[in-house]
Amino acid sequence: MAARNHNQWMAKPPLEQGEWIDSRVYTDHEIFEEENEKIFKSTWIPVCHESELPKPYDFRTSSIAREPIIVCRGPDNQVRAFLNVCPHRGMMIERRPSGSFYEGQPSGNPKRMTCMFHGWQFDMKGSCVYVSREKEGYQDRLCKDDVGLRRLRCEVKFGGFVWVNLNDKAPDLETWAGKPFECLRKSLEAEPLEVFHYHKAIVDTNYKLWHDTNCEFYHDFMHYHNRVTGFNDAYFARKNEAFDNGHIVVGTFEVNYDKYEGFESRAALSFPHLPPNQWYMIDLFPGINFNLRGSALRCDVVTPLGPNKTMIEFRGLGLKSDSKEDRMTRINHHNSIWGPFGRNLHEDLIGVQGQGNTMLPGTEARRVLHGRQENQTIHDENGMRHYYDEWGRWLNRLPSSPDKPYSAPKETEAVTAAE
Amino acid sequence: MSTCETVRDAIYQATMFLDAQKWNDWLSLCDESFEYSITSFSPEINYDMTYLAANKKDLHHLVDLLPKHNTDHSPLHRHTTVYSVQPSEDGKTATAVSSVLIFQNMLDGTHSHIDAGESRLFVIGRYMDTLKIENGKGIFLKRELKLDNRRLDKGSHWPL
Repeated sequence: MAARNHNQWMAKPPLEQGEWIDSRVYTDHEIFEEENEKIFKSTWIPVCHESELPKPYDFRTSSIAREPIIVCRGPDNQVRAFLNVCPHRGMMIERRPSGSFYEGQPSGNPKRMTCMFHGWQFDMKGSCVYVSREKEGYQDRLCKDDVGLRRLRCEVKFGGFVWVNLNDKAPDLETWAGKPFECLRKSLEAEPLEVFHYHKAIVDTNYKLWHDTNCEFYHDFMHYHNRVTGFNDAYFARKNEAFDNGHIVVGTFEVNYDKYEGFESRAALSFPHLPPNQWYMIDLFPGINFNLRGSALRCDVVTPLGPNKTMIEFRGLGLKSDSKEDRMTRINHHNSIWGPFGRNLHEDLIGVQGQGNTMLPGTEARRVLHGRQENQTIHDENGMRHYYDEWGRWLNRLPSSPDKPYSAPKETEAVTAAE
Repeated sequence: MSTCETVRDAIYQATMFLDAQKWNDWLSLCDESFEYSITSFSPEINYDMTYLAANKKDLHHLVDLLPKHNTDHSPLHRHTTVYSVQPSEDGKTATAVSSVLIFQNMLDGTHSHIDAGESRLFVIGRYMDTLKIENGKGIFLKRELKLDNRRLDKGSHWPL
């Protein structure tokens, strides 16, 4: 058959349930709002790395599902997270991206989070410690103990990332993501890590499309760099392993960096316990990616801004103990592929924005194919099938027909049995 | 021509070669020891970051491989203003600070039917240049582009 007419184009593809999805999951406003409410407000998000707040009273601000968040390190060295919202009148307490409360601010004392609006102050545990003219205004009807900050669940884990969950009842982080991290746990936890790179992108695409790209390596045809450094028997044998909760791990192989003109082996600076020039990737539901290429770790975190707008924050990390020279080498290794002017990232962003341009809210549904079956090796699309099965469960929607309730595809049972 | 004028000429010549994507002509203005970097300070992580660091050989590899990489073909236009030139005491070298705004003239980067023809601000920053003066010409020894941007929606495979 050559090009298809409308009915043929809209027909169910000749694939099993779970091997294709309806593109309305990327374009529908109602689905987007549901995702924020049901998924992002109940999952663990790594909002920053502990090295971004190295000293007591350091803080970092972020957001999850439109909720502003502040993370701070207390004098007891513990990292805690709170809603960055004053309980008095709902003002955002801290507006800077990072800084320290050690010194006083125009509206407040040192060592306090102070709401600039009316001068209410909070300590590093989120307790309200000062209400301006408290007695005069409230006459003992409301006291400081009644108006602490909203504490959020916060864990520092898997290489020092600061994870926050808005849901007090969600499973703990180890239960949620421990198993996929097993492949890298020794490497990431051998010694303290440090962030050396940060940049972000806001692209007109759905956040799941970014995660899809991270979950599949079939798109390496887009990257000349990957084709020449990777495409060999070991590469094609690399496995996509599915884990509970929608996570996947892309297994390792030895990358031949010297096949790309001007590049060099990363072997001399491998992360601890990692064989030379290896490359692991952990993709966590619903949109977090950890990518360790020998000498440098990359972490992407998505923040959905709309059905067709996504912010992606990119971090690069090395070892805190790095010499100046080693750190610069790691930075160069990171940037040469993943920096904003590197060989790959720019192409990945063009790819997902191209998808975003064809799948705008209001465009007719597309049938997006996830049906490549290659024994769960690198070009198998099982990572995406696994993801959308989890997505369907969270929203109780069938990914291939999102107006219908979720039902498990046959393949899910096979993957679960294999585990 | 004074040292200051020579330096300004070299910086503006470099801008025109880069705008015209004449990468090798641009590199011909650079010494063999040339060092190039794109940097930015991040108030998010409180760190002086390097987004790209390359010597002249690296830059040759980079531009030679451009045809093999997929890219956004929207041309970039640099508006460079030389703010200051500081010749060394012996007049053999000079440092210069220039403000640079780089605009992207949209072609195919997103949705060409809608976006092509529009110009968007791509990045802003400062060129921190070091040049040597040789036979009345300014030769680049070092260029650091200090970006103010940390939001880079789509970067570029091209030198800036």
